[in-house]
Amino acid sequence: MTRSITAAAVEAVLFVAEKPVSRGELAKTVGANPKAVSEALAELEEWYRGTGLRLQHEGDDWQIVTAPEMAPFVATYLGADRLRLSAAALETLAVVAYRQPVTRAEVESIRGVNCDQTIYTLMSRRLIEELGRREAPGSPFEYGTTWEFLECFGLSSLDALPTVLSPEGVRSDDGVVVPDK
Amino acid sequence: MPVGPRPPEVSVAGFEGPLDLLLELVEEKKLDIFTVRLGELADGYLERVRAMASLPADEVSAFLYIASRLVLLKARSLLPSIATATEEDELDTEEELRLRLIEYATTKGRAAALGDRMRAGERAFHREGGTVELPPKGGDPDALAAAWQKVLALTKRSEEEVEVPGERYSVEQRTAEIEALVAEQPSITFATLLGERPTLGYAIVTFIALLDLYRRLVIDITQDELFGEIRVERKVRRMEGLTE
Repeated sequence: MTRSITAAAVEAVLFVAEKPVSRGELAKTVGANPKAVSEALAELEEWYRGTGLRLQHEGDDWQIVTAPEMAPFVATYLGADRLRLSAAALETLAVVAYRQPVTRAEVESIRGVNCDQTIYTLMSRRLIEELGRREAPGSPFEYGTTWEFLECFGLSSLDALPTVLSPEGVRSDDGVVVPDK
Repeated sequence: MPVGPRPPEVSVAGFEGPLDLLLELVEEKKLDIFTVRLGELADGYLERVRAMASLPADEVSAFLYIASRLVLLKARSLLPSIATATEEDELDTEEELRLRLIEYATTKGRAAALGDRMRAGERAFHREGGTVELPPKGGDPDALAAAWQKVLALTKRSEEEVEVPGERYSVEQRTAEIEALVAEQPSITFATLLGERPTLGYAIVTFIALLDLYRRLVIDITQDELFGEIRVERKVRRMEGLTE
């Protein structure tokens, strides 16, 4: 099995890229249409299975990253520190990750506690970011997860967030809507 | 950016908050979150809140808010007649609190799943930059000139400050000093050898001394990365035979 020319070109560009590259930019760079680039990316994704690399994407932005299974070796080489978060910070992160874009008030309504500190912690670790202001009274900030979040949790994209069973065995990943106060 | 210093996080008696406490009561009693009469948990909840040591005011209010709703639900079940009086206020219904509890349970499950991933340490890394060196785009030549002017001003100022030159260093003397230092400690940085604010003469003499020591195979000079620390190391023993 060999790679198509487009897949090889996309791989080469992503290899030297220091930050995520959009599908549109890839298409322009390698002289293919966006659909061909999508196919090339799928081809690469398949190709990387079982290797030390993988593709990571958020929306339309793509990057080659190391496979999470190889993290111990890469971390040793880079001298990278382990990520540590408190249970409270993890809860806030879970709300933001699964329900983004979300406001601070919504996070607090779900957790039932003040979340100033945990949101501050997560922002300073660059795991979440302000996406902009919501068009609502008080125009509160909306928060979402970052590229670093995907990387730190070894998720190839937001679609790869772990699905969780509620304690009663009912899948509640579609979320139960909490009425606004 | 609403980011600024904040008081440290306060952990409340092992609970992440009132919903966490309520959820724990449900789980402790092995009750079904979908069918449990939440009012029945009022006594247990109040007992736990009372047992808590002093709480910060805003935490207390969050716990008491849930407590009051539980007590209201309990009161309604005991005295159905008061139910009609408040039922118009939909926020006070049992279903709304139940939904919040289920949502919170789900959040906790998701947080645990994320926590598992975090502890497993199975993360991805991207390639760090720095390998492709291109001239910066859109550079401003005037900025370079301005930066150079600043450097000139700096040297002028330090010239003014140092009014007692007269110090003289010989390469031989500095070579002996460095040789003694390296004999004592296996590795020393170039920055340490230069000291805090070296004069030009001192820097030059130190530099020539190092080159001389390197030529005589007394020391090794290493630099791990571009513009990184330059380390001066004693040459390993097996090379000594070559110096003769």
